[in-house]
Amino acid sequence: MPDLLELAGVSASYGRIQALSGVSLSVPEGSIVALLGSNGAGKTTTLNTISRLVPVQSGSIRFDGKAVESMASHKVVEGGVVQVPEGREVFRDMSVRENLEMGAYRRKDAATVRADFDRVLDYFPKLRDRLQQRAGTLSGGEQQMLLIGRALMARPRLLLLDEPSLGLSPVLVQQIFGIIDRLNKDGLTILLVEQNAAVALSTSSYAYILENGEMALQGASDQLRRDDSVRRTYLGH
Amino acid sequence: MTLDVVFLFLQQGVASGLVIGSVYALLALAIVVIFKTSDVPNFSQGEMVMAAGYIALYLLVFRSMPLWIVMPATILAAYAGAALFRRLVLNQVARANGSPVNLVIATLGLSYVLRGFVRQTGFGDTPRSFPPVVEPQSIMIGQAAVTTLDLVILATAVVVMAAFFWMFKYTKIGRAMRAVGMNPKAAQLVGVDLTRIHMIVWGLSGGISAIAALLISPKVLMTADMGSIVTLGFAAAIVGGFTSLPGAVVGGFLIGIIENLVGLFISSRAIVLAPFVAIMLVLVIRPQGLFGGRVEIKKV
Repeated sequence: MPDLLELAGVSASYGRIQALSGVSLSVPEGSIVALLGSNGAGKTTTLNTISRLVPVQSGSIRFDGKAVESMASHKVVEGGVVQVPEGREVFRDMSVRENLEMGAYRRKDAATVRADFDRVLDYFPKLRDRLQQRAGTLSGGEQQMLLIGRALMARPRLLLLDEPSLGLSPVLVQQIFGIIDRLNKDGLTILLVEQNAAVALSTSSYAYILENGEMALQGASDQLRRDDSVRRTYLGH
Repeated sequence: MTLDVVFLFLQQGVASGLVIGSVYALLALAIVVIFKTSDVPNFSQGEMVMAAGYIALYLLVFRSMPLWIVMPATILAAYAGAALFRRLVLNQVARANGSPVNLVIATLGLSYVLRGFVRQTGFGDTPRSFPPVVEPQSIMIGQAAVTTLDLVILATAVVVMAAFFWMFKYTKIGRAMRAVGMNPKAAQLVGVDLTRIHMIVWGLSGGISAIAALLISPKVLMTADMGSIVTLGFAAAIVGGFTSLPGAVVGGFLIGIIENLVGLFISSRAIVLAPFVAIMLVLVIRPQGLFGGRVEIKKV
């Protein structure tokens, strides 16, 4: 499979603090690739450089052969790279329906947007009962579903998922990852950022591990799961 | 003071208060819409009103253009000027140092530039009066005396506010503005072009300021310092909660009515104090303002 996304030697910084130095990774079309690492390792920054929220200092980002590193953020979304941010970044005072419709902000094909709206509600039937509810009043799990649904409304070709398991109960984590798996089987390519290495390694086919803004380790996910140092540091046994 | 007089004063105070309050409400809207989408209180709002007033005066009196050209031309000029300021100056400031304080200082800078410019042209040297849009005739509503000009001011302001709220609630661009106000990062992640939204918000704010200028200028003496009327718009915005658009409107009408009642019942010299007493009362009783919603704790 050809690579849909390719980062080569990407560096980024916040003021004087170097957040990423020379990060390279590639995501083949149709796969789930995991990006792991401890808190502050640069995982979210990596996603934000791809989404063009954090400027790229050096290096290149290519999506489907096109250079992303100098695009405006809304052009990246239009091109099909959509991020599901970490935490509860919903539009709090809008209804669930308005939140989902905001996801399709850059699309002009009204008929297919309506079809996608139904498709998203098929993935997340719980949201169907809450369409009129204010998004800020949803539970943590429901907000996470809404975030993924909102991103799907943009018709992504590549989904950047930031810590979908954060703050959720084990049952909900299982549910969310079940849906991630389904989305991937339906043809969506996913770059998954996680602190929960156990879940991430069992869902993904390939994984990268970041340490202090540098790529420390990479390999097939089953191999990393058996790797001693990975088990000690990230899997806790 | 007999009961009859009290009743008469109440009617007159509310009627005059609604008229001037509708202008304060417009000014408060113009302030709040910018604050909501960028956390920047625009300290040049008053000078935007003043400059728009002088553009209209120049076209109408010195170029003898007809009113039906002057009004849209003034509004468009204010829209374009404000949008360009956001795009060219504030974006540059934000890129150099993103802290909101620097943006606020840049708006202060604009206020001095505009005032200096109007002084430079010489139009501001003598206080001038703007010819009224309609010939003022006195009308009695109940026992309150108002003029046809008053009614035109109130009606125009209400129509503009209704159109603004409709735009904010039901159009795609309005929804994008609300999205930016709630969560700019999430807005960017769904593909909202922040630069464009900020430009449009500033443009709208400038346009509303121009409408307020056209409405108020026949009633006041125009000078380069007439922008200080926006202080009352700020008062209205604070009373309403500073982030709430309906709050800004209610605050505007409240401040207008309170001013007039204080003038009639206490003394015309107490009018200037009234808005600040109103602010203090509201802040003591309800620190988040009348429509401010819950107080949020920010992580620093």
